[in-house]
Amino acid sequence: MNSRERVLKLFKKEAIDRVPCFSGMGNITETGINKLGYRFAGIHLDAKQMADTAATTYKLFGYECGVVPVDLCVEAEAMGCVINVYPHAEGILYPTIKEKLIHSEDEMNVSLPSDLASRGRVPLLKEAIRLLKADIGNEVAIGSYVLGPFTLAGQIMELNDLLKLSFKKADKVAKLLDVMADALIVVAKEYEKAGADYITVREMGATSDVLSPRVFKNLILPPLQKVIKSLSGHSVLHICGKTNDIVTSMMEAGPTAISVEQKNDVAESRKKLGGDALIFGNFDPYNVLVSGSEELVRSTIRKCIDDGVNAVWPGCDIWPTVPPQNMIAMMDEINRYGGKK
Amino acid sequence: MADETRKKEILDKLRNGVIQYDEDACREGAQEAIAEGLDANEAIFDGLVSGMEEVGRLFEAQEYFVPEILMCADALYAGLEILKPHCKQMDLGVKGSVVIGTVEGDVHDIGKNLVKMMFDVAGFTVYDLGRDVPLDKFVEEQLKTDSELVCLSAMMTTSMVGMPKVIEKIKEKNPNCMIMIGGAPTSKELADKWGADGYAEDASNALKEAIKMVAFLKKLRDEKAQKK
Repeated sequence: MNSRERVLKLFKKEAIDRVPCFSGMGNITETGINKLGYRFAGIHLDAKQMADTAATTYKLFGYECGVVPVDLCVEAEAMGCVINVYPHAEGILYPTIKEKLIHSEDEMNVSLPSDLASRGRVPLLKEAIRLLKADIGNEVAIGSYVLGPFTLAGQIMELNDLLKLSFKKADKVAKLLDVMADALIVVAKEYEKAGADYITVREMGATSDVLSPRVFKNLILPPLQKVIKSLSGHSVLHICGKTNDIVTSMMEAGPTAISVEQKNDVAESRKKLGGDALIFGNFDPYNVLVSGSEELVRSTIRKCIDDGVNAVWPGCDIWPTVPPQNMIAMMDEINRYGGKK
Repeated sequence: MADETRKKEILDKLRNGVIQYDEDACREGAQEAIAEGLDANEAIFDGLVSGMEEVGRLFEAQEYFVPEILMCADALYAGLEILKPHCKQMDLGVKGSVVIGTVEGDVHDIGKNLVKMMFDVAGFTVYDLGRDVPLDKFVEEQLKTDSELVCLSAMMTTSMVGMPKVIEKIKEKNPNCMIMIGGAPTSKELADKWGADGYAEDASNALKEAIKMVAFLKKLRDEKAQKK
């Protein structure tokens, strides 16, 4: 059973030989970038460089997927925001939004551009997915991701205002989120057409560290559901932070699997959701994988499995400066321990 | 000078105005405090800040979430704007200036703004560099202003890793400068490892840490007043 078969069977809830180790979020490494002789700031703007880099995590370490994009600004840019890729940065800086689309409450009435699929870097991403699929698509599953409607809204307008308006003028926010959902559907469908086997929807801004479970259910869930239901392939819903209070709502959104980070008590979530639910997670990609020892990496992987995850999967993007020996230790531990349960 | 009952009424109005995110009540309470000769510092600490302390508690009890905190902060600022010109400079033996900002690569500033608010109420001079701030700018600004405190914020793991560089550069030039880091991905371990003096992992903790700091200043002020 190769990695591709293992991951796709997992999504279909068919029997597999061991727990896979992969991600639906960014997982490129500096080791990979350096090997190719690329610069981090350049790979966001070049389909071939993006695909080549994304393939190295599998090629170098056996990580069981290939995922593009690398940054979180594709959809906001297509909607009309201006991004900054920090072209002259020495180290690694991820692109951010430099110029928002909505500057005040009066401008919230945005509509969906009819040519969204050909705006910004959406065509570049489609090309990157095609290249990645042609390169390693027989060996691993190819993933891509979009933001969740609320997280996207927090990029195209001031998050500060969005949060307050979620409370004061929920109707207005709900309307905006619905447009965001439509935009995300357009983009995600393009990714699926280009060959993505699974799409992760990253609703990072809607964690229960920030919003109450009540607001989540009333305001965040409906547009999220809309996005996920429109996907024809496998889908994963990822939310950061404390999520134990909302895992049931996350499932209600209808994804094939949910993804949670280290602040989630997975054993507890498993009890709540039952044995059949697919839960991916939940190691700390920085404090364990980047700055932890090999032994910490190994024990954390074992704990994830013991707690009952269906796939060992990071709580966020893998930070590129991850030491190669920790990637090797992670994959070695998966091979040793992943079939024990 | 208003009598004790009236004073309590005004302080309660300020306190409850913050808790119930009622900007008008805070403005009204602040105007009454000035008109009736209340000490502006007292109105800030025993009214507005006391309300914010309760907001911190409500957040911890998960009755309030970030949207509520942001609205409470707006209410606090509405009162503070009126009271501030009437404040006497607190003599605490420190100059009381702070450089604060979100590090380059990160455009999130909610946690940073909450901490800034608590420095504002404490009467600090705040040099707010904003968000997405190039690392060297922190070092330059600290040197230029000779601030004894620098606060670095990051909400994304992807931007936090620039922090140790700033800490090292500042400590190299000015070993006595205190550095506080904050944001979801930070931890006590990282703060220790990078040589930072304090940390707060999220907006509520940042708020709590800043409240603690301000409460400490308040204690100093009270002790000073007692000695006199």
